[in-house]
Amino acid sequence: MNLRVLGLLLALLGAVAALSAQGSKLLVVLEDEAEKSKYSQFWASLEDRGFQVTYKSPKDSSLSLFAYGEPAYSHLLVLPTKAKGLGPNLTPNLIVDFINAGSNILLALSAQLSVPSAVSSLLLELDITLPPDRNSLIVDHFNYDTQSANEQHDVLLLPSPQASRKDVKNYFSVDGLIAFPHTVGQVLGNASPLLSPVVKAPSTAYIYNPKEEFESLEDVFATGSQINIVSAFQARNSARFTVLGSVEALEDKWFDASVQLPGAGKKSEKTANKAFAQKLSAWTFKELGVLRVGSVSHYLNEGSQKGVSNTTAVGAALDINPTIYRIKNDVHYSIEMSEWENDHWAPFTPAAGDALQLEFSMLSPFWRLDLQPTAQTANSSIYSAEFKLPDQHGIFNFFVEYRRPFLTSVEEKRTVTVRHFAHDEWPRSFVISGAYPWIGGIWVTVIGWVIFVAVWLYSKPAQPKRQLKAGNVKR
Amino acid sequence: MKSLVRCALGALLYSTVALAASWSFEDASISVSGKAAGVGGASKEKLSPNSPLTSPLALPAADSLKVILTTTEGSTGKRAHQAFLTLHEPTTGLEESFPFSVKENGKGKVEVTQKDLPFQFLTSTQPLKASLVIASFGSSTPYNQHAFDLSIETDAAAAPAVPSPPERYTSQPEIRHMFKADPRSPPAVISLVFTLAVLAALPALLGAWLLLGANLDHIGKAFNASPVAHGLFFGSIIAMEGVFFLYYTVWNLFQALPAVLAVGVVGYVSGSRALTEVQDRRLAGER
Repeated sequence: MNLRVLGLLLALLGAVAALSAQGSKLLVVLEDEAEKSKYSQFWASLEDRGFQVTYKSPKDSSLSLFAYGEPAYSHLLVLPTKAKGLGPNLTPNLIVDFINAGSNILLALSAQLSVPSAVSSLLLELDITLPPDRNSLIVDHFNYDTQSANEQHDVLLLPSPQASRKDVKNYFSVDGLIAFPHTVGQVLGNASPLLSPVVKAPSTAYIYNPKEEFESLEDVFATGSQINIVSAFQARNSARFTVLGSVEALEDKWFDASVQLPGAGKKSEKTANKAFAQKLSAWTFKELGVLRVGSVSHYLNEGSQKGVSNTTAVGAALDINPTIYRIKNDVHYSIEMSEWENDHWAPFTPAAGDALQLEFSMLSPFWRLDLQPTAQTANSSIYSAEFKLPDQHGIFNFFVEYRRPFLTSVEEKRTVTVRHFAHDEWPRSFVISGAYPWIGGIWVTVIGWVIFVAVWLYSKPAQPKRQLKAGNVKR
Repeated sequence: MKSLVRCALGALLYSTVALAASWSFEDASISVSGKAAGVGGASKEKLSPNSPLTSPLALPAADSLKVILTTTEGSTGKRAHQAFLTLHEPTTGLEESFPFSVKENGKGKVEVTQKDLPFQFLTSTQPLKASLVIASFGSSTPYNQHAFDLSIETDAAAAPAVPSPPERYTSQPEIRHMFKADPRSPPAVISLVFTLAVLAALPALLGAWLLLGANLDHIGKAFNASPVAHGLFFGSIIAMEGVFFLYYTVWNLFQALPAVLAVGVVGYVSGSRALTEVQDRRLAGER
């Protein structure tokens, strides 16, 4: 609902608007003004995409995430700080409130600056665990950059991230290797469906504390692909929170840097960090994966309305979205879905192996059907399903609940009454062969009654009775 | 020059001769021992860096798997920063690494029991793939090779507790509503037989009345005495049945009730006259 209003606003604002489906105001929290120049290409990319970027230091007393109780910014980008915490204006509590208000956050970490405990406790709220040693970083002796980290192996070179599941869209694929220098690894909790890994560490990676480099590694915090380099959290209100383990991946130095994997036959190649940074920020700041529901319609699919595909052509004759149906009615349901892609609404298609599903439910679903794509317009696709209403009367919902990782959630509920057969909608007794003896009985009674009345009224007394009367007279 | 050396290293990785700048191990042995078995009771096998064990090892519930090795850089024993025994479950792709505790001279050991393994490993139907990862900082070539297969023998009495799968946002299985069965009629033949039996009751009844002497002989007498009353009364009886028939076929209750009322009034008024005539006949001894 909020998104739809925002989308309308966006259409009104036209060219002035940001390319984000949500809003253009972006707050960047960075400690040192001098650091800003290290990320100049990233800032330029954000500003090109229409974001109004505000830079503030966490120590700045004018820094506030809220103005008059509403979020002052649509998006927040937090760079790592040397200080022990993020200050009184960016407490974990305020940041969680900011997420609850629907705003998006990109949190970058760096293993070169120890991670503040405020950040660790904030991430724990989201079930993301950081290593207990503040300086721990990910190392991989198999996938490192030989040109910059030949000795320390702490610049990871990873191929384009794969979707973590088959039925999830991949918004982060890039051509080429991505460099992650000095990465803070994260471990995701297993219970929450809101968390999803974006970039996982390779299976030979592990986390260690460089201060204990020369000691034996007996107790590792996490190993292999259980470590996440980039992880994403999407709240129930579709607010997005992305944790990037390596802030240096956003630096100009690593955009188009030349890197080389170890091993014979590996060539030097350019990093794809620029494309990855663009995609990661685009997803976090809702330039990607935002869903919108257009029109939702349902109608009776029987009698004169049977098989009507184009609802607008029939016009007023067609009864769209009635409030009441009867049990066992055939109905047609369709929903229009669009997905925001960088700068426009495009027809939405779920990932292969995934399906948009319609539930017809009263407390629990009576039907759950995969909606099929039936039509497409320039910026939306129409999904529909046809089914017979259940033989149970009551108050039902046409319910489309579509929650998937990396996509904003959709909940469309249309409530209708499903009534029982009216008394004159049942089949008549004369078409039921089992009723013939009873119908026959009624006719026999009717005819018998009429004849009985006639006989009772007009019968002449029988002969023996008269003889009896005559005998009486004689006596 | 450097890259040439690295090329050579890659080529020689599988050879038995360990070169200077490549991680490997030596003096490796693997044993599965139980608490019950004595010192000699453990099964022990040698591991070589270049070829995995051909037959899978079995790890019973109470036993522990122990791997002892010496990590080497080139030909000298040296502690590697990363010395892992990595178990890989082929169906889920889950991996778990167990670090060796390695001494300065490279001697290391790791012990794994079923208690250390996640439930996915314990419930796996296929043997786990175990590999050894030996690597460290610097430019030496790291080692990562499949070492052996491990099949888990769980105790049938104490099956591992499998937690219910965590909630994930995904499409759910379709639900198709199961409709109740439509009401059915008995076979038409049976209905027909009973219909005929019911209809046969009418001729039987009429025949019985005729046998008992029922007749309509006084119809002329009655109509001569009070034609209007008798006509209306008998007509109203038939009309009432007609109203009921219309109610059955086309009318609703609110159309039928006024008609019933009208016919009823006619029947009441004419009926009292007609029945008076019938009473007269009775008093005259003609009934």
